Amino acid sequence: MNKIKTTAGITWAFLGLILMIILFPGLSGFSKSFGTLPFMKINPRYSGGEVAFTQSAGACTLAVHKPVFNGLVRDRNTGFVQVDWRGKIPDQIRDTIDYDNDNVPDFVIAVDTKKPASDCCPLSGRVTGLGISSRTSFGWAARINLRKTP
Amino acid sequence: MDNSSIAVSPKKTFGKALLYTLPMFLVTFMFITGGKPDFSDPARTVAILVTFFGMNLLYFLMHYSGKTDRYRAIIFVIFALTLSFTLIRNMILIRNSMSFSQADILECKIPFCHLVIPMMILPAALTKSIIFPGTILGGFADIASMVVLWLAATVVLGRGFCSWGCFYGGWDDGFSRLRKKPLVKKISDSWKWMPFAVLLLVALTAALTMIPTYCNWICPFKAVTEFEKVTNVESAVKAGVFISLFGGLVVALPVVTRKRTQCSFLCPMGAISTLSNRITPFTMKIDTNACTQCFKCVDSCPMFALTREGIKEGTVSMFCSKCGKCMDSCSRNAIHFGIRGVPAGTRKNFSRNLFLFVSFLFMAVFSSQPIVFTLNSLYNLIF
Ligand code: SF4
Ligand code: SF4
Repeated sequence: MNKIKTTAGITWAFLGLILMIILFPGLSGFSKSFGTLPFMKINPRYSGGEVAFTQSAGACTLAVHKPVFNGLVRDRNTGFVQVDWRGKIPDQIRDTIDYDNDNVPDFVIAVDTKKPASDCCPLSGRVTGLGISSRTSFGWAARINLRKTP
Repeated sequence: MDNSSIAVSPKKTFGKALLYTLPMFLVTFMFITGGKPDFSDPARTVAILVTFFGMNLLYFLMHYSGKTDRYRAIIFVIFALTLSFTLIRNMILIRNSMSFSQADILECKIPFCHLVIPMMILPAALTKSIIFPGTILGGFADIASMVVLWLAATVVLGRGFCSWGCFYGGWDDGFSRLRKKPLVKKISDSWKWMPFAVLLLVALTAALTMIPTYCNWICPFKAVTEFEKVTNVESAVKAGVFISLFGGLVVALPVVTRKRTQCSFLCPMGAISTLSNRITPFTMKIDTNACTQCFKCVDSCPMFALTREGIKEGTVSMFCSKCGKCMDSCSRNAIHFGIRGVPAGTRKNFSRNLFLFVSFLFMAVFSSQPIVFTLNSLYNLIF
């Protein structure tokens, strides 16, 4: 019994040695495979969610993301919608957004990118105000706070 | 392989130690230089050579002198310092500040570290996504690479990760060595269960709020890496918590107790690593035939892993981080690196040689990037 345990232990230790030796040269391959696992994507609360639709005005593209309400097991009552301006952004931005595409405007967002200052005017009971608004490497991004039921 | 029981010294002759260093020399050369060294940039060449030869000298000394922790700690502390230097310098170069901005969060550009892992498990299982504003693949400290590195180290080294792999552990390890004798000797070792409570708390609160609560509210190492810009009361309170915990658990308490108090009393990752000690191939063993029960090892252990009763029974608790400090303090070589399933007191040198190769290799390669980066920056600054 002792011999079996000893052999198993030493084998396990040598497997550990092999794993350590291949770990660094194989790191990018292992990480790539690991990165494709189903849970390896950034939660929409952080990524901003998928882009729902875009609109272009000259060299600037407005991207409106899908609203994010997700919680641990089911949707929450509060969330946000992310709006990005990509490309060559103007000094003054003012856009009226209908994020749920029901042909009724939901909010007006105004950004002074020079100052910088941002303001959001809710037009729907589901919009509760401005969350984050910031310059980014691609232009400007803002998150507008929402609640599911007005 | 030696099978003797009493007082087998891990010391080696000069030639034998050199022979044992040769494989490490070759493997680290391949991994640190990528196999094809590029000597076109003098600053980087000097940085790589100093790192490479320095590491191998310390590995040689581990074999030659038979001491483990004395030389391990040098790299471990340098790793912690240079990692912080690398992070801070990168942030200052990119953002002109040590704090990250809203844009970094919006663009998911926050560097990932292993301390997030305990909080991402439940949400990953239930929502199939990661609750952290980082990058999955590519870029600095991406999530996939960090998890793979941590996973491999944890499976092989168990809590040894906390003495050979964690780029934070070197902070309290370093401060715990500043005084020769502890000012405070009596601390209840029941506190060592605290990380399990912290683990439970942060795993649950993170799952409920979908926010990595430990990073947001507790992590003491925010004080020496990156934190949210102080713009309101909430961010000021957070900064206050980070700095107080760093000052208390990472600096002050380790200095006065000579123990790694942050790692032993707070870190939720330490709790996971502690549990992983149950499956790893390498363990600490006590050769009761060689032990004289002087209990020097109990006093020297910085992780509260040893008790007098345990020593009498020949057991080391799962809190052991395989740092080797107890071995260095034992003149009888009674406490030693061992392999699971191999009886205590047998194959002492074989087990130590194998464990040292595996753990040192991980530490050397993992720490080499920030060390090279720091030396490179210092060279450019001076010359
Ligand atoms: S206890 Fe935590 S901070 Fe300390 S070495 Fe382990 S993982 Fe790192
Ligand atoms: S028992 Fe020994 S090897 Fe383990 S943590 Fe304590 S001093 Fe380090």
